[in-house]
Order: sequence, then structure tokens, then C-alpha cells
Amino acid sequence: MGDATISHLLRRAGFGATAAEAAQASGQGYGATVAQLTTALGGPDPGADSVPAPVLGDPATYERQAAQARKSGDGSGLRALDQQLAVERRQLVDWWLARMVATTNPLAEKLTLLLHGHFPTGISKVRLPAFMYRQNQLFRTLGPGTFDALTQSVATDPAMLIWLDAASDKAADPNENFARELMERFTMGIGTYHEADVRAAAYCFTGWRLDRATALFTFDPGTHSQVVQHVLGTPVTTGQQVIDLVTHSPASARYVPAALWSHLAYPVAPSDPVVSDLSPAYAGDLSVAGLLRAIFEHPAFTSPTALDGLVKQPAEYVVGALRALGIAPERVLAGRLSLQKALADMGQVLFDPPSVGGWSQNTYWLSTAAALARWDLAHRLVADADLSPVADAAPSSRVDAAAALLSVPRWSATTAAVLGRASGDPAMLTRLALVSPEYVNN
Amino acid sequence: MTLQAPPPNPHQVTSGDLLPVPVPPGLLPSPAARPAGPSAAEARRPGRPPLSRRQFLGLAGGLGAVGALGAALGPRAWDALFGGGTDSRGALAPAGGRRLVMVTLYGGNDGLNTVVPYEDPLYTAGRGGLALDPATVLPLGEGYGLHPALTGFKTMWDQKKLAIVEGVGFADPNYSHFASMDIWQSGVTSSSEATGWLGRWLDATGSSPLRAVGIGPTTPVLLTGDRVQGAALPAGPLRLPGDATEEALYASLGGTTRREALLLAEAARSGAALLDVQHRLGPILDRTTSDDPLHFRHPSPASTDTDGALAIADGGGGLSGGSVLAAQLSMVANLILADAPTDVYSVELGGFDTHSDQAPTQARLLAEVDTAVTAFVDALAPDSRGRETVVAVYTEFGRRVTGNASGGSDHGWANVVFVAGAPVRGGWYGDPPSLGRLSDGNTVFTTDFRSVYATLFDQVLGVAPRSFLQGSFPPVAFL
Repeated sequence: MGDATISHLLRRAGFGATAAEAAQASGQGYGATVAQLTTALGGPDPGADSVPAPVLGDPATYERQAAQARKSGDGSGLRALDQQLAVERRQLVDWWLARMVATTNPLAEKLTLLLHGHFPTGISKVRLPAFMYRQNQLFRTLGPGTFDALTQSVATDPAMLIWLDAASDKAADPNENFARELMERFTMGIGTYHEADVRAAAYCFTGWRLDRATALFTFDPGTHSQVVQHVLGTPVTTGQQVIDLVTHSPASARYVPAALWSHLAYPVAPSDPVVSDLSPAYAGDLSVAGLLRAIFEHPAFTSPTALDGLVKQPAEYVVGALRALGIAPERVLAGRLSLQKALADMGQVLFDPPSVGGWSQNTYWLSTAAALARWDLAHRLVADADLSPVADAAPSSRVDAAAALLSVPRWSATTAAVLGRASGDPAMLTRLALVSPEYVNN
Repeated sequence: MTLQAPPPNPHQVTSGDLLPVPVPPGLLPSPAARPAGPSAAEARRPGRPPLSRRQFLGLAGGLGAVGALGAALGPRAWDALFGGGTDSRGALAPAGGRRLVMVTLYGGNDGLNTVVPYEDPLYTAGRGGLALDPATVLPLGEGYGLHPALTGFKTMWDQKKLAIVEGVGFADPNYSHFASMDIWQSGVTSSSEATGWLGRWLDATGSSPLRAVGIGPTTPVLLTGDRVQGAALPAGPLRLPGDATEEALYASLGGTTRREALLLAEAARSGAALLDVQHRLGPILDRTTSDDPLHFRHPSPASTDTDGALAIADGGGGLSGGSVLAAQLSMVANLILADAPTDVYSVELGGFDTHSDQAPTQARLLAEVDTAVTAFVDALAPDSRGRETVVAVYTEFGRRVTGNASGGSDHGWANVVFVAGAPVRGGWYGDPPSLGRLSDGNTVFTTDFRSVYATLFDQVLGVAPRSFLQGSFPPVAFL
């Protein structure tokens, strides 16, 4: 396989490659690069781990202080606590962006991003950055393992307990929020279960609690419905049994591979033939790392459809640009590049998806507002970037140098002509390359 | 609000700066995108056929970039080339003379506690702890009242400017937020349809994304057509970062890839659309950015480097927070008052997915809707164009009659739709669903949601609804 194929892999399985990384991957070949990326999952990430963890308040302490302030009518105390949360939230987002920029284990950070989209959870409701941080670390550490274990952990983690109201549920008239989204969005997909399954499963999740004093999951047998429910035709009583059942269902064996394929290759429905190729092996062990490897090794992953199959998500766009332009993670942490504003203007606020449906794909990211946000960002980044790879090239080679810099396999004839007209001005050339259709696509 | 002459656009290209670049075909009115028969522009200006693609390319070859074209040819020619119908003043004319503003409430607003059948004993019995105190609702007559937060809606009702359509929905309810919202926004119930009900109208009306504008970072499905995606406007001014040379080159990037892969072409199209939108709406937004016709104090999100100002809602999507809806409607009011060439606007508010502790959340959100929509209608009332604006408020589904044990309610079925504005014939429409005949605990719809759309097509946009709705739906007489 050629360099264009390896470049495609490095963009989809990560955030694009530097010239050195591309050369190394090219030297060892496509198969060895897939093996390297997937076996590194769950292993160390010296690059990202060099980014200092955000300093976030302890949730139990926050709850105690907030309760105290509310009780004593201390308005300024409550506002100070809110401001502290806002500061922590900014640090949290910058920390993750810096990790993605610094990573030397790019598939691990990419998988974390994809899992955030798969189990979308929003800080606007969860409120405490410490809970979002904990969930994010969970995606990173447990993500490559088995999908059933991952789902069990995500479900009992504070962020999800708060997000889908499990934390307040009771035995009589349980709320259906978590049970529904578990089946519809996280594991099986719409149309593969009945409404009665949702309502039955909701009873099984009663008694699930977040203990605000310890910030840990706890089970309250007193409010748990003891009635045996039938979910997908199987008798169950506990939430853990429901999760076990739905993650091992035949529908899930198609839904999960389709979801990952859709974000790595091109959007497909669970009924797509390519899913039939991935599903049997995945159904055997529910290994996410194994599924990723199978996706990258599938012939359709490098097909023309896949090469034009995805638009970069805003986070991929921003991180990819920072890495390509050699802007150090420290600059991200310094917060001067307005990266969070850029992401918001493009429609992807990290840790705050628009709904439990997560973010849509492709043309969803191609709005006029997002086009302007990309152009604005290109100006800010290029002003801060090391442009020597383009500027040091002879004017006649600068268009090619920009392609190599940005991990773009080739420019269309028209883009090349446009960039050629800017070759006297390396900064403008790079800005235009960053907003070109070829770079906007993934 | 005072309207001044627009300041000179520093990004505008003058003929001296022109670069010999091709013109983006994405901005050309493609033959396929034109409706059958003569367009409004052609009908009004007989004897001056629009430029052919070939003529246009020939002309453009000597002139250059899109920004330059606008400057060189003036708005009339610009409209002829890019925008669909122009009126005698050279403005891109609204097709039906009226404007439509769709307000989407994400998450499934609890309709039974919005328009409340408070004298029905089944309401109190069925809702239990969720039931509102009859003493607090704002009576509308016939045993119904508005949620206490909707004081402005009550005033509009008394002024006969508010229509309430009861029991709106579709057969075979879908309790999924996403499937339900897809059905509402696509206007199609049978299959997953990628285009929106107004997106298909956009396709048929011409090639300009300006005709349908959403406020926010992404374009909702509602305004997404097969060939045209409605414009998405960020909050605040719309200024391009590059100088004239860079803008010209950006314009030609927009035309790179028509014969290439689909997504590359789409990406190219979005860049071309940005220039189109900036050229026409940028000057209006620039000079109105500090105006707030809604008299609603809110920080300008553009002035802060924080995404908190446009924070996204919990469970169910949509923008939310503080006065986000008022900020969006304020921009829309400015555009309408400045006679922007846009027929359809979309704004949104999220956070209505009240599975737990519903009462305070719904009260806060409905108060925001009430304040923003009422101020919007009031702001437009003194203006002749403003008075031709119709606002419709909808959500993806109602909520279960019986609440859950978390002090909230789960996903349900039929709901109310509000239609407000000076042209509206205020009053009751549709039949209220019976609380005595529930289906699986849910109120059953009595009016197909596409009847509401059919009315809006016919009475606001001035087009026959049939071709956009895959069927014929009886109109509702609120207009």
C-alpha cells in the first residue's frame, strides 16, 4: 500500500502525522503501522502524560460547601463556587486538547474522543469538572478493553448517573431516561427492541444512586424494584444484568462495529454489508481494540469511499492543525489561542455535546458559521506557527510542502492552482491550505 | 433602531486588485436547482433573460473573484447570478412577502403543563405531583390555562396574536428524541429522510443559502436541503479575517471540486456559501451588532472568549443558557427590520428533557421562551415588514401524563404548537387530546403536524405545500 493509504490511516487513527512520523510509518509499512497503533492501546503515552493533570476540586467538598452556602443564603459564596467551576472547566478542556496535541499514542486519544461521542455526557448538567475528568480517564483506560465492561463502568460512573437521571430514581414509576438511551444510543440502535423492553429495563435500574458524600456509585436495595422483568425476552432484575444482556445482544454486535466504522471510515447503518464482516469476531469477545484493528485491516477502510468518507470533527481539525504547525501543548495550556472559542464556533464544545445523541457527522460540520470559524482559527494559528517547512522550501515547492505539513495526500488541481498563487506568501498559503476542502475533510 | 448607510467593507475587492481566478461553480444557479417554469425574477423582468452559465463564466474570467463580482456588478446583478428572485429595488425578495421564524425547543417540552386543562379532573388525578396549582395558571377560557411563566403569551392571546394548535403529532409515536425530532424537522414520518421540510423548499426556490438562516454554529436538519444548506450565522458580527487578496483566493477554493468526491464538493460549497452570506448579511449584522430591538440585556457572546455564553443544553440538544433565545431572536429581528433577503429563520432552545425535578427547570425555560418570543413580536410590530412575520414554536414530543418518581416526566406523544405574530388569527385550533382515552399512558394526536407546515407553506411562504410534504394535509385556519 502506498503513502497516501498510510497517511489516511494516520489521520483516521490519530490526528495526522508529522513528516518524520509519516516517513517512519511508510518505512515499516501499513500492516506494521496498524499493529503498532493497536498494540499501543492501553499502554503508556509519554507524550500525553507529560501534560499536567488539571487541578480540580473534590466533588464531595464542593457539595458540602455549596449546601452550606445555600443554607446560610450566602450568595457571594455560591457565585465564587460557580466561578471556580468555570475556571476548572476551562482547564479541563485545555488539558484534553493538550493531551491530544502531545500524544505519542494517538489511537488512544482518538478512541477517547470517539467514546466521548458514543457515550455523550454534558458538563452543563453534570456540572462538576472532576466528574467529567473521571469519565474521560475511564474512556482512556477501559476503552480498548471489552465493550460490556466499559458500558458497566460508564453506567455506574457519576457523570452518567447524573446525566441520565439514574441518580434520583426510585422503584415506583422509574424514569426511563437511562434505560432508553442505553438501548437506543449506546448499545443496540433504534428498531432492535420494543418499547416494553425500555420500560421493563427501567425497573432494573431503580435503586442506583450517586452518593454525593463519597462521590461514588451506591446501590439502595430499599428503592430497587425486586420484580422480575423481561427484557429482550430474558428474565432479569438488576441493572448489571440488563447491561450484560444488551451488550451481548446480536443487535449490539452490529451496532457497535457500525458506530466505530462510521467515525473511522465512512458512515454506515448497522445493516451495511461491511458490518457483517466485522460483527462475528467482535461478537466473540466484544474487544474494542480487536474491533479497531479489524476496521483498519478491512479492504474497504482504504477504498475510495473511505478516502472521501469523513469530514474532520472540529476537535480533529483543531488538534490536527496544532500538531502539524508544531504549536506546543504548552501554548494550548496557556490559553491564548482561543481554541475553546474556535471549537464552540464550529459547534463542538468538548465535554458538552448538544444532546445524548452526541454530534452528527460530515455535512453537519460544513455550515457557513463553521467555515468562518476555521478561517478565523487559521489566522490565529498561522501567526503562532513555525512555518519554516513551507517558507524554507523554494517557492515552486511550497504547495507540495504545505501538503506534507498538513498530512494531505494530494491537492486537487484547482486547490493546487489557488495555493500556487499564494506561494509568495507562506503564511497566506498555509492559511488557505488549512481552509481548503482537502484539509477540512479527514 | 436607526439604520445607517453601511460602512465601506474593508474586504471588498476593487477592480485593481483582481486576480485571474475562476469563479466557483458552487455559486452558479445550476439548471437542476431551478424550479420548473420562469422564476419570479424572470417573470418580473421580461426581456432580460438571466445570464447563462457560459456567459457567466466568460464574464467572470475577466473579472475574477466572487467578492469582486458583487462589488463590480452591484446587488441587482449579484441577485440575478446567485440569489433567486429580485424585486424592483434589486433586493432578493421574499417569495410570499412574509417571514417565518421557527423556534425549536429541544428535549420534549411538557405540553400538558404548558397549556393546562386545569379544570379536567383527569388532569389532577393523572398528573399527581406534577399537576400545576389551578390558582396559578393563566386562564384562557374553556377550562384551559397557560403555565404561570407564560405571561407574555397570555397578553398575546388576549390581543388575538397567539394561536394554540392542540393535539399536534403524528401516527405511531416514537419515544426517541432523535427519531422524533428527525420526523418533525424532515416533515416525513415513513423513513429516515436526510432533508428538512424547509430544506426541500430551499432546494426548489433557488440556489441561495441566504433564504433560510439559522442562528448558531451548525445548520439544523430543518433547513438542510439536498442541494442547498441554509446559512448558519454565528452570534455577533460576520467579518472575514482575510484581506482582499486572500478573500479572492478563498473564493476560488470554493469552486475546486465539483467533479470530485462528494464531501470535497460539499466542503467547497460551504466556503462559497460563507462568502455569499457575508456579502449580503455581513453589512447588516455589522451595523446592528450593538442594537437590541428586543431590549433584552445580554452579554455579546462574540465579545467573550468563553463557550459558556453559548453553552449547550443537557439531554435533548439545542442551545441554552441565560438569554440565548433572546440573543438569537434579537439578531433575527435586526435582519428582518433591515429587510434582509431571508424568508425563513431558525432559532432554538434546549434543556426540556425533564426526567427529574421538572417544575423549576420547565418554569425557567418557559419564562425564557415567553420573554424572548413576546419581545420579538413586540419589536417587529411597529415595522411594516416586521408585521408580516410569523413565529411558530414546537418541540419533538409531549410527555407522559403520569409523572415518574423522580419528580419528572418521561417521553410522550401529542403536544401543542404555538403560532404567534401580527398576521396570526389568535385562538384555539385542533382538538385537545382526551385525558380519558390515552394510548399506553399518552395523549393521542388529533392534528397531523404536517397540517401546520402546510398552512405555513401556503400562507407564509406562498407556495403549494404538496410537493414538499409528500402528501396533502388540510390547512389549519390560524393564518
